Amino acid sequence: MHIPDGFLDLWICAVMYIISAVVIGYSARRLKGRLDAPQVPLIGIVAAGIFAAQMLNWPIPGGTSAHFVGGAIAGILLGPYAGCLSMVSVLTIQCLVFGDGGITALGANIFNMAIVDVFVGYWIFKALRRYNQDVSLFLAGWIGIWLGAIAAGVEIGVSSIFAYGLATTVSVMGIWHGALGIIEGVITMLAVRYVLVKQPDLVPIPKEVTV
Amino acid sequence: MELKEVLQRWWKVLIVLGVMILVSPVFAWGAEVVGYAEPLENAAEHLGAMEHEYAIISGIFPDYTIPGANPYASTIVAGIVGCLIVLGLGLVIGKALGEK
Repeated sequence: MHIPDGFLDLWICAVMYIISAVVIGYSARRLKGRLDAPQVPLIGIVAAGIFAAQMLNWPIPGGTSAHFVGGAIAGILLGPYAGCLSMVSVLTIQCLVFGDGGITALGANIFNMAIVDVFVGYWIFKALRRYNQDVSLFLAGWIGIWLGAIAAGVEIGVSSIFAYGLATTVSVMGIWHGALGIIEGVITMLAVRYVLVKQPDLVPIPKEVTV
Repeated sequence: MELKEVLQRWWKVLIVLGVMILVSPVFAWGAEVVGYAEPLENAAEHLGAMEHEYAIISGIFPDYTIPGANPYASTIVAGIVGCLIVLGLGLVIGKALGEK
């Protein structure tokens, strides 16, 4: 889901950079001096875990593959602001060190995976956990990545390189990631549940979040 | 929290990350077998945009490999290096934001 250089028109790159910079700046401002002590290293631990998980490409028979993105997990375990910054660190290193995602598209990639996926995942979990925690975790992972993919579909769909094929790009991204996102939802549910049940002391889960 | 404390408290998690990196070549091989293509690439292919893809920055580990080295073995090295860099950057961010 990492958009490379050349896929987006420059004005879209600029707009996405600005939006992402504003959210990153706001997140940092919200967190400044407010992290609990265990949260300080946890930003790096979660980022490293997501980086490692993203290296596992799931082969899907039929000629496609996808990898875990992890924005919802970051948002749920760290809170949306720290989760966003954790994902930003992953995406930035992937771009600069591994050439995964273009430097011109970094703003868009951050928006899709470090903002939409993180914040949507967190909000869904927060809104639905009172009804059923497992379902809320699953939906957070699934819908978070699905909307992130649709955002990517919109960004490339309004680009001249894609012949302004918005309907096609949104359909392809939405349908495929809607299906592949089920795996993301299951992993999100299992991973967060494991942490909450087995290692509750390791993660400073917000007070309202309990098993 | 210093690096030593992080290692002492999170060693189990770091071992899990190490295992994930060690098995990553298997997943890479599997993706190759089915014909690696993400939905984004499928959309680009469908609309003839693939030829416009380029990379301004390829990075020192392009495509998570070391140029010229065995792709599967170098994926492990790239993964370890990447994890350490991301972990370090995350720790720096956490430290810079500061505790309560």
